[in-house]
Amino acid sequence: MSESNKEPSALSQLFNTFFAKHWPVWVGGIVLGTLNILLFAIKSPWGASGGINNWGENFYSLINVFDLQHVTAVSLSSYGMLCLLIIIGSFIGALFSKEFALRIPPIGELIKGFIGGGLMAIGATVGIGCTIGAFFSGVPALSGGALIFTVGLMIGVIISLKYLIWEMDKFPKWSSGKSYTFFAVSGKKGTGQIILAWLVTIGVIVLAYSYSGKNNVLTWFIIIGGLMGLISQRSRFCIVKAFRDPFMTGEASGAVGVMAGLLVGLVGFTAIKIFGIGAGETAARAREMTWVFPHFWLKAGVGGLIFGIGMTIAGGCAVGTLWRVGEGQVKLWLAAIGFILISPISKLFIVPSFDKIIPQSAKFKNFLPDYIGYEGAFLLVLAIIIIWYVFVKWNERTGKFSAF
Amino acid sequence: MQINETLDCKGLSCPMPMMKLAKAMKGLNSGEILEMLGTDPGTKSDLPKWCDKTGNILVQEEDLDGGVHRVLIQKK
Repeated sequence: MSESNKEPSALSQLFNTFFAKHWPVWVGGIVLGTLNILLFAIKSPWGASGGINNWGENFYSLINVFDLQHVTAVSLSSYGMLCLLIIIGSFIGALFSKEFALRIPPIGELIKGFIGGGLMAIGATVGIGCTIGAFFSGVPALSGGALIFTVGLMIGVIISLKYLIWEMDKFPKWSSGKSYTFFAVSGKKGTGQIILAWLVTIGVIVLAYSYSGKNNVLTWFIIIGGLMGLISQRSRFCIVKAFRDPFMTGEASGAVGVMAGLLVGLVGFTAIKIFGIGAGETAARAREMTWVFPHFWLKAGVGGLIFGIGMTIAGGCAVGTLWRVGEGQVKLWLAAIGFILISPISKLFIVPSFDKIIPQSAKFKNFLPDYIGYEGAFLLVLAIIIIWYVFVKWNERTGKFSAF
Repeated sequence: MQINETLDCKGLSCPMPMMKLAKAMKGLNSGEILEMLGTDPGTKSDLPKWCDKTGNILVQEEDLDGGVHRVLIQKK
């Protein structure tokens, strides 16, 4: 009798399923892809750099710099709140799994975090989107610019990875030295983290409910943002990892996870666009052009390249930075601060200059179905994902393109 | 068990622990053991997969106080 009492209860087993171990990245990818479809059905697809830029504009508006008059308050910005909730959702996931700790790396890493975040901001503002908006959502949105952005990302990641390897060889002290860890728990300790996780979860539910009736879209963005943060943290879903690891250790699981999310998004987004789901009173054409940005081809390529360099130096893409902020990685706090502070500056001063020097033919909206039909666009994206999959799995086995 | 080298990755986040580990293992001879200390939760997922792929052996892993994860890896 006493033995059976020691068996974990059904609820304990359920809790352990979610929080005892990390989830496979492909599980995270599929769930995130599904939530992305839900965001699109409610309003518009997942994006991150717009929300982070909103925070930056609110900051400069608060200190009366740059004369930003018409900034949407974070509390009323769908994407500002979505990004905030990704951090909070990750914080909840890290607390429930007792993985939260303030991890302060050596000073060289903090500087790289800030520089990487600043470069991501420039890449996102120049390229109109980040690894989420212009890649994880842009590719399923059948945007030709998103494919070019992806090529830019990959080249940026390879260049930046070569730099990191060079730096590790020549200047190992830049990534070593005194580090600090606070609030870490292990073993059976850490009940406080679990209690705090429940309190924050209740806070999120109350916050979502507070918008109900007044702004139902925000209610849903708050709930979905929280889930996205939690799922990203538990599955360690990170797009820089997907692009970088095949060329670093050869490991392919991060890439496969992202591909799973892209595939799910591809099916859902295509259906939404073909049937004009959620178009409301807007024209069906506007609905199908959602997340097709005027950046084909040079604007997307340059933006993707700069973003790819930045995210590899920072060690986190747009969403990877946000959820690592939530689990207490202070290097990524610096990356987020760099992103927040540089994004409005880049938008005000760098982007207009860049846009002046490139012709209209290098920054237009390219919706693939306009050229090759929905069937052709769907099959093209599917073929690219399959080729990418075959490449990373072959490379994982052979190590032909891996640095280590 | 004799430890031939210790790699301190405390405070570092992805990708530095795995990069430093891969480089450090290159400097060891077959059968030698590397001790790695880290605080990045991601390493717990990445390390077993990397060992499976490279053939190096994950001899031991444990959580120490202060959120430090300690692993011993034997070079194949």
